[in-house]
Amino acid sequence: MLAKVAAMSQFGGFSRWICAAEHAHTENAPKPRPATYTPQFFTPAEYKIIDQSTELIIPNDGTPGARDAGVSEFIDFMVAHDDDIQYRFRTGVAWLDAFATENYGSGFSDISTAQQQALLRRLAYRDQQFPTEIQGQEFFKLLREYTVMGYYTSRIGLEQLDYPGLKLYSASPECPHKDDPEHRHLAPPRF
Amino acid sequence: MSKQIYDVIVIGTGAGGGMVIHRLCQAGAKVCALNGSRRLDPRKDFRNHKQPYDMKFRGFNDPKKRKQSIGYMDNEYTDGIWEHEIVFTTAPGTEWTWRRCFAVGGKTNFWGRSSARFSEIDFKAATRDGYDVDWPITYDEIAPYYTRVERMIGVASTVQNRASNPDGEYLPPMNFRCIDRILESGAKKIGIPYLPDRIAQLTRNHAGHPACHYCANCSEGCDTGSFFSTPWFFLPEAEKSGNLEIRTNALAKNIVVDENGRAAGVAYIDRTTRQEVEVFAKNVVVAASCVESARILLNSKSRQWPTGVANSSGQVGRNLCDHLYGTIVRGYFPQLLGQPSFPDNVSASTVAWLPRWQNLENPRSEKFIRGYSVYPDGGCGGFPSYFDQIEGFGSEFKREIKRRYPTPIGFYIQAPTQRSDSNYVDIDPTVKDVYGIPAARLHFQWDKNTLLMWEHGKQACEQLLHASGAEYLGAGEIDTPGTSLHETGTCRMGNDPKKFVTNRFGQTHDVPNLYICDASVFPNCTDKTTTISILAFSLRTSEYLIENNKT
Repeated sequence: MLAKVAAMSQFGGFSRWICAAEHAHTENAPKPRPATYTPQFFTPAEYKIIDQSTELIIPNDGTPGARDAGVSEFIDFMVAHDDDIQYRFRTGVAWLDAFATENYGSGFSDISTAQQQALLRRLAYRDQQFPTEIQGQEFFKLLREYTVMGYYTSRIGLEQLDYPGLKLYSASPECPHKDDPEHRHLAPPRF
Repeated sequence: MSKQIYDVIVIGTGAGGGMVIHRLCQAGAKVCALNGSRRLDPRKDFRNHKQPYDMKFRGFNDPKKRKQSIGYMDNEYTDGIWEHEIVFTTAPGTEWTWRRCFAVGGKTNFWGRSSARFSEIDFKAATRDGYDVDWPITYDEIAPYYTRVERMIGVASTVQNRASNPDGEYLPPMNFRCIDRILESGAKKIGIPYLPDRIAQLTRNHAGHPACHYCANCSEGCDTGSFFSTPWFFLPEAEKSGNLEIRTNALAKNIVVDENGRAAGVAYIDRTTRQEVEVFAKNVVVAASCVESARILLNSKSRQWPTGVANSSGQVGRNLCDHLYGTIVRGYFPQLLGQPSFPDNVSASTVAWLPRWQNLENPRSEKFIRGYSVYPDGGCGGFPSYFDQIEGFGSEFKREIKRRYPTPIGFYIQAPTQRSDSNYVDIDPTVKDVYGIPAARLHFQWDKNTLLMWEHGKQACEQLLHASGAEYLGAGEIDTPGTSLHETGTCRMGNDPKKFVTNRFGQTHDVPNLYICDASVFPNCTDKTTTISILAFSLRTSEYLIENNKT
């Protein structure tokens, strides 16, 4: 618990999922996260682009998305601590913003969600990519990687995977499909 | 004040040193153990129960530290544990990834726990295939020591009756997971073994230690001591005996010899004061791990031992062997797509393995000599690192990550190198560590025989994937030499003093009161991991030492 408190004091943005983990200590829980997060690295305009684009990468579509899991805060924190990727993030966000302006006459945060998705599709899918947009494709790859990193290491993201580690088991878990060693007749996929 | 003379100085508190300390203190000897760094505090240093979101950098580590990381186990969870200050060098053309733990207990704090016995096939390999030398002992001689070690540490497995894998005394095996059942069926079809590994993980309470709780982060240290490590299993009792003094932050520099060239003690650097200190004893046991032990001997030059103590054969540092490690092939199980998560990785362990099946009946039936083993690794892990194989973004991307979560499978090879004149450790002529001790320099290349095993393993495991209904995703890459932490051979044991550093008991031929208790005495590294054999051989050496000191 001490380490968790220390982590919070270093970075308030983590409070959302850290405290959610600690039901037994709610009386010590810090106040809920402030409504507006102040980025450490990105400008407010850049941060808005990060927030919107990461929510497109892992959306809330009935189950929690990137925003619910605080992914943009995670990215801001990591980039603020990593000199080697700051330039790539800064120029990448600028590229994406210019890409939006060039195509729709407004910056990335001011165009519609459908337009934002159309832009990202051109960067994300090989059969829609243009060789002149390599810089944007590379930035998208980086952004997607950090989105996945942030989402699937958050409490919310790991719950989506039903991550089975770090629980206590009284015996080493055993395959429940005794009659089907090849696992060719399992129940239909749940997901 | 008259100078204190201990019965035995032990350099190192890992598997080898820990066993010697345990056995000697039990026998009433006064022991001084030198340990290169600090004691670990399980409550502070073992962060194995922390979720990624409990960690400041979510387990990805501070980017500034990430640059200095020595590989996958040197991460945010083990921050401050692996040795970074003491340098080593590599000869031009040699790459060497080397995680050293100088903390009390050494690498036993974090080891992989696979614990197969060596076999007669390993010891008589040279007789069988004509390459290099046999070991100077037989399986029957060492077998009782393996049994005693298994009783002490607890190893889970089954009786398997395999020529290269003698059975021992086992706790109940770990249960097979979905991925194991699938692969077991596939392996049956193509005629290769798929069996419970021998794993030193307590499947029930054993020898006063609680059973494993399967939290899955063993490689970050165990806070309940449910797998063997010397700080949990050996050192507390030894300290309680009143016969042990552990000096921490005591970095061994060289063996001190008397006028007759016998070991008189050890000179070490106290890392807290940076002062050199000498400590004296009737016997010295070097157990600093393969390369570090060679470095200490080679740095122990004197009038009597101009090329390093116990090195009249010129063999100290030579014959370095290692395991080639790497993921040979990767794939996924379509039959598990979209299935609910299953606790596949709850042991972070080698629940199952493919023990050596090559060259058993006929030592020359393959293009290579000897053999290798393979560990499967897959199922629901933590982070979905396979995401980069999925194109796109949005709901479909998110769903695909979830669907594939139970499906990944990979195979990790453990292939031994064979001795060669070009693989060795010497002392760097110019580089010294911050305490002025000349650095170890590594010379190492993979040999052709080992690379043939890699190719063979690739084909076999691709076949196994197909036979198991899995899809092949690609071949992996060979890890950098040193990754396995299974270095052997720098102080080989053998009967001929001109060709070997120690006799068959780990006592140096040149210096009768100097013993070596780590994997450096092994003539080669076999297809098996080293720790349980270090324990068995060190137990035997300890009792030989006790016998030699009876008056």
